Amino acid sequence: MWNASCNVCHMGILRLSHVDITVPDLELAAAYYTQVIGMTITERTDDRIFFKCWDERDHHSLAVRYHPRLGLDRFAFKVEHDDDLDHYESRLEAVGTTVDRVADGEEVGQGESIRFKLPSGQEMELVRDVHKVGHALPLVNPRPYPDGLIGIAPPRMDHLLLHAEEVPEVAKFFIEHLDFRLTEQLLDAGGHQAIAFLERSHQPHDVAFAHGPNGAIHHFSYWLDDWDHVRRAADILAYNGISIDIGPTRHGLTRGNTIYFFDPMGTRNEVFTGGYRPDPDFPTITWTDERAGRAVFYYEGVLNERFQKVHS
Amino acid sequence: MNRPTHEGILRLSHAAIRVPDLELAAAYYTEVVGLIETDRTPDQVYLKAWDEHQHHSIILESAPTYGLQYLGFKVSDRSELDRLAKRVEDASTPITRHGPGELAIGSGDIVRFMAPSGHVIDLEYGQKQVGSALPLVNPPPAPQDLVGMHPPRIDHIFLMCEDVDGIHDFFTEVLEFRLTEQIKADDGHQLAVFLERTHTAHDIAFVTGPNGAFHHVAFWVDEWGDLRDGADMCAYHGVNLDVSPMRHGATRGCGLYFFDPAGNRNELFTGGYRFDPDDKPTTWTEAEMGRAIFFYEGKVNTRWLEVHS
Repeated sequence: MWNASCNVCHMGILRLSHVDITVPDLELAAAYYTQVIGMTITERTDDRIFFKCWDERDHHSLAVRYHPRLGLDRFAFKVEHDDDLDHYESRLEAVGTTVDRVADGEEVGQGESIRFKLPSGQEMELVRDVHKVGHALPLVNPRPYPDGLIGIAPPRMDHLLLHAEEVPEVAKFFIEHLDFRLTEQLLDAGGHQAIAFLERSHQPHDVAFAHGPNGAIHHFSYWLDDWDHVRRAADILAYNGISIDIGPTRHGLTRGNTIYFFDPMGTRNEVFTGGYRPDPDFPTITWTDERAGRAVFYYEGVLNERFQKVHS
Repeated sequence: MNRPTHEGILRLSHAAIRVPDLELAAAYYTEVVGLIETDRTPDQVYLKAWDEHQHHSIILESAPTYGLQYLGFKVSDRSELDRLAKRVEDASTPITRHGPGELAIGSGDIVRFMAPSGHVIDLEYGQKQVGSALPLVNPPPAPQDLVGMHPPRIDHIFLMCEDVDGIHDFFTEVLEFRLTEQIKADDGHQLAVFLERTHTAHDIAFVTGPNGAFHHVAFWVDEWGDLRDGADMCAYHGVNLDVSPMRHGATRGCGLYFFDPAGNRNELFTGGYRFDPDDKPTTWTEAEMGRAIFFYEGKVNTRWLEVHS
């Protein structure tokens, strides 16, 4: 967006910052997310653990909180400037959305933020100042990646998929009030939007919504650089006895290569690579109902029941 | 359905490359690189990569010599073009303004100026959209009739200039680029700078050399395996392969360098990382410049330092 006061342009919402989930077993979560995924723990409190991927410089991209049931506490997007928080707060309040301010010091690992409920029931957060802890490489003469990486070791978090009873309503909310762009959609037999893919970071999606119960999370996804790394991830998942949902396979939507799998407590994870770089004037791609199978699983051509029913 | 944005310069849009033999160059860029011809005049051939929606990302210009005629960046909105034009003028750099179709077939509104490095730069809004090679309803992952290396899109451009510190300041202060990496001489001046607008490791880079010189233009490929296929393609077609598949220290990307028939250097590039606006740049010291450019060999070959167009 354009900030008239300083005559420079800035991006507003940049990218997915972190996903905050609940887990029934903190120690099992710590073991899985460090040893199998290969994230590092940056901070622990009595009931929470904060993780980051090796190439991430911010304090955390995943936070888990102890709770007897699985679920999503919230997810956060990163904005470029402090005044982006004021900007989106006033726009959201103007359309009747209640916005809560979280003061600097109230939340672990980050400064001031705003939180609000989506029409689909999930809590979303916008934050500018996630504390910089640095990535795992020096800033002078670095090697391409650190030695001794464990597990899948993705460089960063990529996107998440949520459920909504009314996908068009929440997609419209993201486009009109949060300046996201619609890259792809799946229409059901009645022409109703069943899946919507939305981006801010010039990739096929930063967040997506699929028809399902309000408040639910379908999965969050880690970036890998290469199809070969997807194969290696499958090897690591199999070796560790992780429940693989599907893959390695390809999505028709986003054109990415993927594996879906479940963490030991039941939250679906994904590793993802590929896709494309959409400009802001990118024309939306539409998938029709009779190709819904290929849209989601391009090789199999059919949706499995797990994809449509299992969420957390 | 998508709304206007105000993001300034979005990305590298196109490069106009001089070639003495237009037919030979057109054959190379369509059959070996695998770009798609979208238009031509007696003196020009317009090309795009298969996944690009714009009319052109490479323009071949018939000329008695080789090198870079000009390069273009895509700007998000017309109002952003006006705002950036004023910033360039305020930096004592004369601009010219051009309407749609005036400078090239399919071109949009353009602000043209010469950067302090001696390169002609276009800021463009509204280049004609011709669509990618895929349908917008139920598309397959890639078209089935691709030839050559067929990269999906242009990625970055690498230029030379005498005063790298000066061009760094111009790009960051006037054009709002961010520095991701730099190679610093022992005396503190910048030998090379890597600059981005797309949150990637670089959209444009400069290394010390003659003003106006063109080091290479790079096309994106998705995988390391695509670099092997690219090298196979070079060998099969007798293309002058400069450097086999390798890793860069700076950008952490992997690449393959080769020359078009006119002697302009091309690259296939993959990898790298995503850079936030508040991330700190990486610095390479003069002693480690070899690893910065060629991470495996650890030294820069003379061709890389001296051969340009």
